[in-house]
Amino acid sequence: MSAPSDRDLIQRARRGEAEAFGELVTRYQTNVFNVCYRILHERLEAEDMAQEAFLRAHERLNTFDDERPFGPWIRRLAANVCLNHLSSQKIAAELDEERHADTSQRPDAVQEARERSEYIRAVLASLPAHYRVVIELRHYQEMSYDEIAAELNIPLSDVKSHLFRARKLLAEKLYAPD
Amino acid sequence: MHLTDDQLNEYLDNEINDRAQVEAHVSSCVDCAARLTALQALFDEIESLPELALSKSIAAPVTRTLSGRVSLPRSLRLTVTLQVVAAIVALLFAAPLVQQFISPYLLKIQSLSFADMFLKVQSQWGIWLNMLSQLQVPTVPEIPVVELSSLFVALTVVGVSLLWLIGNGLLLRNQMK
Repeated sequence: MSAPSDRDLIQRARRGEAEAFGELVTRYQTNVFNVCYRILHERLEAEDMAQEAFLRAHERLNTFDDERPFGPWIRRLAANVCLNHLSSQKIAAELDEERHADTSQRPDAVQEARERSEYIRAVLASLPAHYRVVIELRHYQEMSYDEIAAELNIPLSDVKSHLFRARKLLAEKLYAPD
Repeated sequence: MHLTDDQLNEYLDNEINDRAQVEAHVSSCVDCAARLTALQALFDEIESLPELALSKSIAAPVTRTLSGRVSLPRSLRLTVTLQVVAAIVALLFAAPLVQQFISPYLLKIQSLSFADMFLKVQSQWGIWLNMLSQLQVPTVPEIPVVELSSLFVALTVVGVSLLWLIGNGLLLRNQMK
């Protein structure tokens, strides 16, 4: 017997079947957790926010358009949950000034076995929160500039400046000479 | 004249209108071609980050929380609302009957001062003790009769019962799935 489609699970979840929604969580929890982790850069916090994102999704299941895929919807919702979390924690304000994570030591100098991906994560984590968010929405959720502007409720010019500045900072840190 | 960083970013983001112009320039400009290649490499690095695994599944806690919430389907919520409305209407109809029943007692209580009431209770207590000593059952005050048409009473009972049955029937059906 084939696994039920996302659509079937959503319809059953709307009828009050918690187990059906649990199956959706199982399918998308890694995706959603990674969205949260890329924005928050704190594992436990990211797991909490991933749970919160699924609970919000369940509350808003009636607003979900069945004709569209569930994955992008829940990932976008997770990004929003993290953004609200950052706003409520005033972390965004604290991070307005660009942080300089300890990236002066290259991976090979810190630990030879350290993977490149971990280093990239560390560099991403060193960006201000509003830069991390536009990187998340553009590179991982593949949203257009207009969609990002609408999602974050900021002008298109701010989307571009945040995104281009974020990339410039990333390039400077990732490709800085030893 | 070289391409700006904004143009290169917009080109790779597919957000530039005149892609041909950028491509034509890049094909003839070594510097801009190198910058575009470097930017593309950055895009690739960002997007090649592997997904991290969760330390533990969050499906179970989410399901538990949802089960605790007991989200009712819309049809059931409507039925429950109707039941509440029906109950309020029934209470409104019943209010005059209740008032008629207790008003004689209320009037007596309101017209008495505290001292009078104390004396009254004391004398009543004496009467009760006397009655008990004679093993007599106190007389129950007569309940005033309110005239309601039997059709009205029957319709009310049937209506409330139907709403009750529909509501609980849907609830049980959902639970048995």
